[in-house]
Amino acid sequence: MIEVIGVSKTYGEKILALTNINLKIEKGEFVSIVGPSGAGKSTLVKMLICEEKPTAGKILIAGRNIVQLKSNELPYFRRKIGVVFQDFKLLPQKTVYENVAFALEVCDADPQEISDKVPRILDLVGMLKRKDNYPDEISGGERQRVSIARSLVHSPKILIADEPTGNLDPVNAWEIIELLDRINQRGTIVILATHNKVIVDRLKRRVILIKNGQIGSDKYRGGYVI
Amino acid sequence: MNWISIKRITNLGLTNFWRNRWLSLASTLVMTLTLLIISLFVVMTIVIGKTTDRIKAKMDITVYFKDSATTDEISDIQQKLAARSDVKEVRYISKEEALQIWNEKQKNQRIRELVTTDENPLPRSLAVKAIDPSNLNNIADYLSSDDFRSIIHKISYEENKQIIDKLLAITSFIKKLGTFFSIIFIIMSILVILNTIRLTIFTRKQEIEIMRLVGASDRFIKVPFIVEGALYGFLACILAMLLLWIGIGLITPLTNQYLGETVSQNMRNFFAGHFGLILLLQFLVGILVGIGCSLFSIRKYLKV
Repeated sequence: MIEVIGVSKTYGEKILALTNINLKIEKGEFVSIVGPSGAGKSTLVKMLICEEKPTAGKILIAGRNIVQLKSNELPYFRRKIGVVFQDFKLLPQKTVYENVAFALEVCDADPQEISDKVPRILDLVGMLKRKDNYPDEISGGERQRVSIARSLVHSPKILIADEPTGNLDPVNAWEIIELLDRINQRGTIVILATHNKVIVDRLKRRVILIKNGQIGSDKYRGGYVI
Repeated sequence: MNWISIKRITNLGLTNFWRNRWLSLASTLVMTLTLLIISLFVVMTIVIGKTTDRIKAKMDITVYFKDSATTDEISDIQQKLAARSDVKEVRYISKEEALQIWNEKQKNQRIRELVTTDENPLPRSLAVKAIDPSNLNNIADYLSSDDFRSIIHKISYEENKQIIDKLLAITSFIKKLGTFFSIIFIIMSILVILNTIRLTIFTRKQEIEIMRLVGASDRFIKVPFIVEGALYGFLACILAMLLLWIGIGLITPLTNQYLGETVSQNMRNFFAGHFGLILLLQFLVGILVGIGCSLFSIRKYLKV
């Protein structure tokens, strides 16, 4: 489903963010990408969501090289993947419901589809009862749930979460991870970039370690080892 | 683009305008100032242009003939002058006409009565107007040639030359100055409005980022900002028109006092007569500047 082939990324002439990354992620997998800060996790995530382009190599998603996507094709690609960030990135002037509905509105979805899907996805993340609140009226954990709901509302095949628990306390963090696990069990590929050791150890799923811009290890049912 | 997205995008623009109302207000006010400045300068340039044209149209040379000159000689000169490409009009003024003008102009009865039909020392003359007043010089030179010296008594140009030259210099200077300042002010205003809109868009950087993240097309991101820009222009146009109207009402007593009733009446007539044109001009400039500045400012946030 996702294939990263010989990907390197340099910033300027001297800074080597990633060197010759090769990996393959199959349908239905839950993959944690771990590594110390500055190792290149975020760069890899940014390239998977086409926020940045690699200096060399190919990234195939469903057989298509996303490195060669034209700028007018990008929005359509982004609608096929869901992305969750550490800082939630919710629109402060919109309610929980509106934030999630917004992701469908920009895709030209019809109003019927929006009123069908949004309550269902809010229910899935346990935020239906808070649908009329604004982001600053809910807790960090709740905001992350809304952010996940937004990333899932157009039924993407891949969910990429970049440090989704970075701003959360352990209980909330674990709840978010359980939510991601549940989403994964429904068939969505989940790629989780994190440096939270406890979470990775408890998940017992595939762990890819990035170290100095290279793949340090790639273990199924692995733990967090640096 | 289907109907639902047009509605959504327009709504988004209107909602954003209202939710960021302080910034919107700032942009609208700056735009209002821009429009006011542009209108004032355009109107000023037109008024100055018209005034200088009127002054220029009044400039002429008058050739006075000796009483010894025959009618044939005078009409010969008249024809020669009329044949010149730089001459617009040559008018013959007979002794009788000169007397009539004298009678009209001379208010003092005793002096007026010194000249009568029987005793009329006023010379016959030709009043010459040039197509371009700066050519009056050449015409005067032509008339000063030896061929005509025997019959010409005086050419008025010699006396008026300095005044005419000065007037010409002043009018062309005022026109140039007016155009120069108009351009400078227009550029300055557009830069200010551009900066204000950039600021508006900058404060919503995150919003644009999120829109891109959830897969909004460039069009979906751009159009609400364009709607907002157009709205700034539209509201600013109404405000500027209102201010212009109030402003004219306020300065009318002053212009009455200092420039005379006719000038201020002329000014009000100009505005009343060109109300539609000024409104249309402001509307177009406002909306184009608003949309243009929005498009220019948002460009950098759409790059990947």
